[in-house]
Amino acid sequence: MAALVIAEHDNASIKAATLNTVTAAAACGGDVHVLVAGANAGEAAKAASQIAGVAKVMHADGEQFAHGLAENVAAQVLAIAGNYGHILFPATASGKNVAPRVAAKLDVAQISDITKVDSADTFERPIYAGNAIATVQSSDAVKVITVRTTAFDPAAATGGSAGVETAGAVGDTGKSKFESCEIAKSDRPELTAAKIIVSGGRALGSSEKFQDVMTPLADKLGAAIGASRAAVDAGYAPNDLQVGQTGKIVAPQLYVACGISGAIQHLAGMKDSKVIVAINKDAEAPIFGVADYGLVDDLFTAVPELVSSLEATAK
Amino acid sequence: MKILVSVKRVVDHNVKVRVKSDGSGVDIANAKMSMNPFDEIAVEEAVRLKEKGVATEVIAVSCGVQQCQETLRTAMAIGADRAVLVQTDEELQPLAVARLLKALVDKEQPGLVVLGKQAIDDDANQTGQMLAALADLPQATFASKLEVADGKAKVTREVDGGLETISMPLPAVVTTDLRLNEPRYVTLPNIMKAKKKQLDTVKPEDLGVDVRPRLKTLKVTEPTKRSAGIKVPDVATLLQKLKTEAKVI
Amino acid sequence: MLRELADLDRVAQLPNAEVLADDELTGSILIEASRLAEGVLEPLNATGDRDGARWSAEGVKATPGFKDAYRQYVEGGWNRLAMPTEYGGQGMPTLLSAAVREIFIGANKAFCMCPGLTDAAVHALMVGADDALKAYYLPRLVSGEWTATMNLTEPQAGSDVGALRTRAVPAGDGTYRIFGQKIFISFGDHDLTDNIVHLVLARVAGAPEGSKGISLFVVPKFLPQEGWQGARNDVQCAGIEHKVGNHGSPTCTMVYGDAGEGAVAWLLGGENMGLQTMFVMMNQARILVGMEGVALSERAYRQALAYARERVQGRAAEGSALPVPIIRHPDVRRMLLSMRSQTEAMRALGYMLAGALDLADGHSDPMVRQERQDFVDLMIPIFKGWATETAVEVTRTSVQIHGGMGYVTESGASQPLRDVLIAPIYEGTTGIQANDLIARKVLRDGGASLNCWLAQVDRTLAETTAQPALADLASRLGEGVASVRMVAQWIAQAQRERPLDVLAAAVPFLKLAGIVAGGWLMTRAALAASRLLDAGDAGESESFLRAKLASARFYATHVLPQAGALAVTAMNGSEATLDEWALQA
Repeated sequence: MAALVIAEHDNASIKAATLNTVTAAAACGGDVHVLVAGANAGEAAKAASQIAGVAKVMHADGEQFAHGLAENVAAQVLAIAGNYGHILFPATASGKNVAPRVAAKLDVAQISDITKVDSADTFERPIYAGNAIATVQSSDAVKVITVRTTAFDPAAATGGSAGVETAGAVGDTGKSKFESCEIAKSDRPELTAAKIIVSGGRALGSSEKFQDVMTPLADKLGAAIGASRAAVDAGYAPNDLQVGQTGKIVAPQLYVACGISGAIQHLAGMKDSKVIVAINKDAEAPIFGVADYGLVDDLFTAVPELVSSLEATAK
Repeated sequence: MKILVSVKRVVDHNVKVRVKSDGSGVDIANAKMSMNPFDEIAVEEAVRLKEKGVATEVIAVSCGVQQCQETLRTAMAIGADRAVLVQTDEELQPLAVARLLKALVDKEQPGLVVLGKQAIDDDANQTGQMLAALADLPQATFASKLEVADGKAKVTREVDGGLETISMPLPAVVTTDLRLNEPRYVTLPNIMKAKKKQLDTVKPEDLGVDVRPRLKTLKVTEPTKRSAGIKVPDVATLLQKLKTEAKVI
Repeated sequence: MLRELADLDRVAQLPNAEVLADDELTGSILIEASRLAEGVLEPLNATGDRDGARWSAEGVKATPGFKDAYRQYVEGGWNRLAMPTEYGGQGMPTLLSAAVREIFIGANKAFCMCPGLTDAAVHALMVGADDALKAYYLPRLVSGEWTATMNLTEPQAGSDVGALRTRAVPAGDGTYRIFGQKIFISFGDHDLTDNIVHLVLARVAGAPEGSKGISLFVVPKFLPQEGWQGARNDVQCAGIEHKVGNHGSPTCTMVYGDAGEGAVAWLLGGENMGLQTMFVMMNQARILVGMEGVALSERAYRQALAYARERVQGRAAEGSALPVPIIRHPDVRRMLLSMRSQTEAMRALGYMLAGALDLADGHSDPMVRQERQDFVDLMIPIFKGWATETAVEVTRTSVQIHGGMGYVTESGASQPLRDVLIAPIYEGTTGIQANDLIARKVLRDGGASLNCWLAQVDRTLAETTAQPALADLASRLGEGVASVRMVAQWIAQAQRERPLDVLAAAVPFLKLAGIVAGGWLMTRAALAASRLLDAGDAGESESFLRAKLASARFYATHVLPQAGALAVTAMNGSEATLDEWALQA
C-alpha cells in the first residue's frame, strides 16, 4: 500500500519539512503520494510533483484550507485516507495539530515524532525529552505518523515528475475560524532547516542586548537565531525562536549556545546537532557536557570577539 | 459552564531518567512523580476562568493508577471543584485516554475541555486533538492566550512562525502551551479544603471503553551518546577548531 | 520515618492532629511546602547571602525580593501552620510543623527567622497576655500582616539574661515606658510589613536584681490607632551587624526611649513573670533551633553529594583508565556518609521531640502527658546542643568535599556552614544547654528521667540483640549506653565534692548523650527497615530501606564509638581543664 505525506507549504512553494517527511515515507515501503491542501495552491502542488521519489500529488483547493485549520485539513485527509497504509505529517506545529485528529477518526494509534523507520510497522521515537528512545510496533491497519524532520535527510526537491490530481475538496466544517496572525518575517534561514544556529539564553539580560549580541553573530555565520525557554519567558526573544523539548527540535551542522546553561529540556531540542559550541561563564554549566567545543568566558566579551575575528578572517 | 481539565501524573520534570539495562523501559521505580507541567497550566487557566465568573465548575480528571488521586488532590488544591479518577493499571496510550475523556465529556457536557499540549513522559502531543475528533469538537492547540465570552473561545496559538489567533464556538477543546499562564502556589488552607472535595472513582469498563494499548513497545534504549568535548581557552582557538577540525564554517 | 520513629500514630490521634492520620494529606502539605520553598525561597538564598539587608536612617530594607516572598509565604498560609485556630491559624501539631519548617529553613534559613520569631511571639501572647492584648495583636500576627521580634540580649547580658538593664517605668495609666538598648535582635526592623511587634524583657524600677526581677513587655513600632493615632513609637534600629552568615536576616541594635519620654509598652503577663513566660516557649524555640541544624546539614549534604557525583578528579583507587567522579574515592564516601548518617540521626531525634511535645500537651492520659513532658525536658538541651554542634561539623565537611571551590563564596558551599554557625550560640549556648542538662535534668530529679530514657534504649537494645544481622549495632549501642550511665553516676558523685569538675565535663557529657540518643534512633530505624525488608514489604522503598540500614551501620561504627572517648574525657579531663597553671602563660 502507498504512503501519504501531508505537505507543509505556503501555497506558493513546498516547505523543507515536507522533503524530510517524504524520505521517511519512502522508508515505509510502497509508493509515496503527497497531499497539498491549500488555497490557490497550484504552485505548491507543482513543486510537490517535482520532489524526487513522489509518485502522485493530490491537490485539494479551497478557502477553507487557507489557514490550515485542523478540522478542515483533517477532514480532507480522511476523505482520501482509505487507500493508504501510512499517513505521515512533518512534526511541525501544523502537522502536530492535525495528525491526531486523523488518527482518532480512523480509530488508530498515532506514532509521534519518529526518528527512524525500522520496518513498515516498527518505528523509533524519543521519549522523556529524548533521554530514551522507544522502538514501537503498530498493528493498526493504517499508521498515522508525525516525523521528526531533523532525523531524515531531505528528498531532492527536483528530479521528480509526479502527476498532479485534483482531489475533491471537503467543505468548510465551520468549526473554527481564523482571526489573525503575527508571523515573523525574516531573511534568516528557518530555524528547523538552518545549517547553523546561534542561540541565546537568559544571560543576555534584555531583548535589546539579545538582539545586539546575537544578530551580528548570526549575520556573520548566515545563521538562524534560537533561544532558550528562559530567554523567551523573560521576553528577550519571541516564542518562535524557542529551542527545546516543547519548542523546536533542531539538528544543524553547527549550534552555538551563548549564555545557555543547558537544562534537560533545552538539550532535548538540540543535542542531535552535528557540532555543538557552548559559551558560558559558568564552567559547571550542564551545556558543557554536550558541547564539542566549550569556551568558559563571559558571552558579552566572547561573542563580539568571535564576530570581529570572523570579520577579520573573511577579509 | 463546566470546564473539564485532564491531568496526568508523570515523572517530575527535574528527574533525569535512566533506561533499564534490560531495555524493557525507563526506570521510574523510585522517581518523584508530579502533575505534568502543561496540565498544571491547564488547571490554573480553568480555575482563573471560574474566578472570572466565566465557568461555574471545574472538574479535574485523571486516568491511571490509584496514586493519580494525589495529582487530583493537587488539582483541587489549585481550585478544581471536584475530581474523577478513571482507575486502571493498564498501560494507557493517548487514543485510550481520549476515548475515556470522550465518555466523560458525554456525561458531564462541559463547555470547555482544557488539557496540556503534551505529557513530558511520552511527548506524544495527541490526546487533546484526538478527543476533539472523537467528540466532533473544534480544537485550539498550543494556546498562549485564551479568552472566553459569549459562548465562544478566542485562542492565540504558538505556531512555527510566531502566533496565530483563531476563534471557535463552545463547546471546544484547548491544549495549553508554556506561556499561557504561571500556575499559582497552592495555599495551605486550599490543601485542607481539597481534602473535603468530592473525588469519584470509575473504571474504564464503567465508561464502556476498551483501553488496551495499540502500540507495542519492543524496546527502550539510550540515545547515542555524544563523545566528550574539549574546552578551548579563547575565541581564536575556537575559530580555528571550527574551521579546520570540525569544518563547519 | 514519621510513623516508625516519631510516634506519628499516637500524635495523629490527638485533637487537631487528624491531618497526620491522613498520609495523602500530610504528603500534599509537604509537597506543596517544598514547591514554594524551591520556587520562591530558594532562589533568594544566595541573594540574601550576597546582598543581605541594608540599614539607613529611614529604616532597614530587607534583602531585595524578601518582601514579595514574604507576601507569597503568608498568602499561602504557611506562616500560620502551627498557630492557634482561635485567631485564624491552622493549629497543626508540632510534629508536622517541624517537618514543614525543615523544608523552608533548608531553602532559606535567614528568611525563615522572621516568621519563626513571629511564631514565638504568638506563643508568648497566648500563654501570658490578657484578653485585650491578645485581641489586638494576635489576629494580625497570625495573619502575617505584622511580624514580631524577641528582645532579650544586651551588650552586657547574653547568656546571663538576668544582667539586663533595660528599665520599665509605670506611666500611671496601665502602660509603661521602656528605656534601654537591645542587641542581636533579628528582623528588628524591615520593610516586609506595616508594623513590627517587639517583645522586650525589662526590669521594672524596684524589682529584684537578676532573673527574678524581669518582666515581659509588648512594644509595637507603631502605636495602636485608637488612643494613639498610630503614631510612631520610640523604638529605633540604630544599626545592623556585619556577620559571618545569615546575611539575609538583619541583626539589629534596638534603642528604646532614646528621645527621652520612653517607648510606650504594655505588660505581658504579671510583673516579674517575664522569664516564666519565656520558658514556656523556650522548649519549642530550642527544638526549632535544633531543626535549623538538621535543615542546614541536609542542605549541605545534598550540595556535597551533587558535587561529588559531578566533579571528576583522580583515577579510581582500584584502577581506571580515566579520572572518575570523586564520589568513587573511599575518603569522600566516608565524608558523605558521616554527613548523611548524623543528619538522619539528628532529624529523628528532632521529630521525636516534636511529636513528644504534642503528646505532652494534648494526650488525654495525664500519665502519658507527664512521661512525655519528662522526656522532652531531658532531651531538649541534648538535642539543641548536640544537633547544632554536629551541624557545624557536617556543614564544614561539605566545604571540604568541595575542595578549593568550597572556600570560594560563589560556589555556595560555605553558606550552610556560615548560616548555622550561630545555632550553637543563640537560644542558649551549648555550654548553657549542658549546664541545664546536668543541673536541672540530671541532678534535680536524681536522674529519674535520664534512667527512664535509658530504659527505653535498653528495650531497643534487647530487640536488636535478637537480630543476628544487627549484632554489631547492638554492641556499639550497648557500649554507648554504658558510657552514659557511667558518666551520669560519676556526675552524681562528683557533684558533692567537686562541682567545678562537673561543670568542666558538662559539654562532653551533653555530646555523649546526644551521640547515644542519635545511635538509639538509628538503631530503631535499622530495626524497622530490617523488619520491612524481611517481610518483603519494601515495595518501592527498597532502596530507601537499604540505604537506611547502611547509614545506621555507618553511624554505629563511625559516630557511636566517640561516646566512649567522651566518657573518658568527662570523667578524667576536669583536672587538666581546671589546672590553675593552664591559662596563665
